[in-house]
Amino acid sequence: MEAPQYVAARVQSALAEDERTHELGIRVDVRGGQLFLRGRVTGEERRLLIADVAREAAPGLTVRNEIVVMEVRDPEPGQEETL
Amino acid sequence: MRELRIAAVGDVHLDESLRGRYRVHLRDIGEHADVLLLAGDLTRHGTLEEARVVADEFRDLPVPVVAVLGNHDHHSNHPAEIAAMLSEVGIKVLHDEAVVLDVDGARLGVVGGKGFGGGYAGKCASDFGEPEIKAFVGHTKRIADRWRVALKELDADRRIVLSHYSPVKDTLIGEPLEIYPFLGSYLLAEAVDAEGADLIVHGHAHAGTERGVTPGGIRVRNVALPVLGRAYGLYRL
Repeated sequence: MEAPQYVAARVQSALAEDERTHELGIRVDVRGGQLFLRGRVTGEERRLLIADVAREAAPGLTVRNEIVVMEVRDPEPGQEETL
Repeated sequence: MRELRIAAVGDVHLDESLRGRYRVHLRDIGEHADVLLLAGDLTRHGTLEEARVVADEFRDLPVPVVAVLGNHDHHSNHPAEIAAMLSEVGIKVLHDEAVVLDVDGARLGVVGGKGFGGGYAGKCASDFGEPEIKAFVGHTKRIADRWRVALKELDADRRIVLSHYSPVKDTLIGEPLEIYPFLGSYLLAEAVDAEGADLIVHGHAHAGTERGVTPGGIRVRNVALPVLGRAYGLYRL
C-alpha cells in the first residue's frame, strides 16, 4: 500500500500543476483512508473543481471537501488602519 | 501635509468566471482611498484572456491604480504582454522601479516589483553550490538590489514598497513553516530597511496574517484577498 504522505503529496502537486486548478493554497491530508481538503476559495464552482482534480489523483479514497467558499466583503467603517 | 489613504489588495486571481464580481466592491473607492495598490497574482494562470478581465475590473477608477505581477501572472510566460494590457487601461505596473503620484500636492512614492523567495535570515538558501540554487538566490538578490537603488533615488513625501512575495515572516503566520522559503525573502526587507519606507504591502501568502513589521521597524501588511476577507485593506499614512 502506498504511504499516505506520498498520496497527499501527489494530490498537492496535481492541484498546483493541473491547468484546471493551479491552486497552491489548499491543505491536503490523508487520514484513515480519507482525503481531506481544506482552505478558502472564491466560488463554489472552484471548490468542486478542486475536489474533482484531487479525486482523480487519489482514486479509491473518500474525498472530504472541507474547503470554504469565501465571500468578498466591502471594506467596513472601522477597518481602516492609521499607521 | 494631509494623510494619504492607501487601498491595497493582492491575489484576486481573476478569470472569466469572476468577471464583474470584484469590480462591484470598487464602486465607492474614490470616497475611501487616494490610490489602489495591487500586490500581484491578479490572474489564475497568467493568460492574456485573464489579463483582459483584470484590465476591465480595474480600469477607469476614480483613483490611480499601481500594480505588480505575481508568480501566477508569470505561469504562461506572458508577463510583459500582461503588463502592457494593464498599462493600456492606465494601470501603472512596476517592475523593480518607482513611480511618484501627486495626491493633492503630496508626493506618494511607490517602489514595487514581484519580489521572490529564498527564506528568512539564518534559515535561508545561500548563493552557493549548484547553478540552479545560485540562480534561485541570485534572482532575489538582484531584485533586492534594484529596490535599494529605486528607494535611494526616490524623492517623495511618503514611501511605500509594493511586492508580491513577503519580506518578513510575521505576515506568514498560519502558513506551514516548511514553505516559508517559497513565500519570500529577508533580502527584500533588508533592502527596504537600508533605505527607509513608511509601509510595505505584499500578497502571496493566502493563509498568512495581515500585520507584521520588518527588523528595522517598517510596518508590513499582507493584503492577499483570502487574508483580508474584504475587497481591500485601507491604511492611512
